[in-house]
Amino acid sequence: MNRLEERYRLLLRLLPADYRREWEDDMVAAFLESMDTGDAETAAYAADYGRPRLSEVASVIALAARLRLGGTNAPPRSYAWGQAVRLAALTATLVHAVMATAGVAITAWLAGRMAWLPAPAPEWALIPPGSLWRTAWGLADYAWLPAYVALVLGHRRIAQALALLAILPPAVTNAVQQATGEVPPSASPWMMLLLDVVLVLAMSAFHHDAEPVPRRRWLGALPIGILLVPVPLFAIQATSQALRLLDWPGLSCALVSVAIVIHLAGRQSHRPSGALPWSLALTLLAAAALALRTATLPDHSHQAQHSALLTIGAVQATLVLAVGAPLAVLAIRALRRLPPAADDL
Amino acid sequence: MTEPAFFILTALLDAPRHGYGIVSDVAELSRGRVQLKIGSLYGVLDRLVLDGLVELDREEAWQGRLRRYYRLTERGRHALATEAERLAANARIASARLGERRSPIAGTTSS
Repeated sequence: MNRLEERYRLLLRLLPADYRREWEDDMVAAFLESMDTGDAETAAYAADYGRPRLSEVASVIALAARLRLGGTNAPPRSYAWGQAVRLAALTATLVHAVMATAGVAITAWLAGRMAWLPAPAPEWALIPPGSLWRTAWGLADYAWLPAYVALVLGHRRIAQALALLAILPPAVTNAVQQATGEVPPSASPWMMLLLDVVLVLAMSAFHHDAEPVPRRRWLGALPIGILLVPVPLFAIQATSQALRLLDWPGLSCALVSVAIVIHLAGRQSHRPSGALPWSLALTLLAAAALALRTATLPDHSHQAQHSALLTIGAVQATLVLAVGAPLAVLAIRALRRLPPAADDL
Repeated sequence: MTEPAFFILTALLDAPRHGYGIVSDVAELSRGRVQLKIGSLYGVLDRLVLDGLVELDREEAWQGRLRRYYRLTERGRHALATEAERLAANARIASARLGERRSPIAGTTSS
């Protein structure tokens, strides 16, 4: 076995073991033949130093996503994971879309475009964007809304492209601002970027074999989400100081914790097979919220109210852990009760 | 039926082929438009086998490896014929509509 074959077989380990038993040798033979140019010298060089091209790697990753995050006809465990990742991705994109949509309304209000509402307090006045980067930052975030709609309507690639459009300008702005010393170095934006990139990758679970998203329910969740989360939050923040210490990681922890408590409370009334994907999805979201909160806690040490912020952050992390850990245990137990492959049914 | 599946079934019409043989033939049939990667090929091929449209023909030793050859089943031939007919009917409708809208003056359209 030459190095090129070793590297390709290593890549194929992304595929489930039963699939590899059936197809691996044939895939390797086809791949090595595709790399054969007919020239002995080039072939010898490729055998030692060649690597699968990026497009080949992407095709194997896409196949692994389809097999491991299964659709309707997949084995029960693969289907449960597939549904869980799809639900988690939809929920995370929904939260982004809700906050972006509310952001449009709040910006319009602050700019005085909603005369029928009471005028905002002078301290809330909009600061005009000072540069192209700031404008890009503000506009890019709104791309989460069409990204969510595209995902619900089944246009996965468009949703991924739009999500990247929402992620990249803020990432570039951050890199520039931190490099020039305009803002102090902090882990928060990078951790959020990492999680958003994971979200874009997770959208790959909406492949051809996946069930269509129930459109009415998920599109209806958008206005309900706006009324339930950003509107009351903004109203409270505008009128009192109480919630000004709640940042995005803190809000994520609070939302996930509330969702888990509601899920656990209603779990008895659901069929176990129906509750499992949501249990796994909320476990994934709790892990993401916990990672975000933990990684961003040290950033508070530079701030004025750092001891209060650190305490609040630690409480938020503990809360997610306290509700997320029991849910994870229940979900893994339920997952183990499922047969791993259709043949075992 | 997806475009890669359509071309894979078409590639197997005249003779059984092995994995890379299918990739090469699909590229030729589609005039280079459909360039299947190995992961994409097997992602389609496994479903065609599962649906009974394609089956294993034989295994042959080649440069110290076993090459698997796949052939079209009767069901696969029927599915391909149905799809080809559907695409041809669609093309006929579009061509007829294009013909109707063409103005007597060459190169321009009415309305």
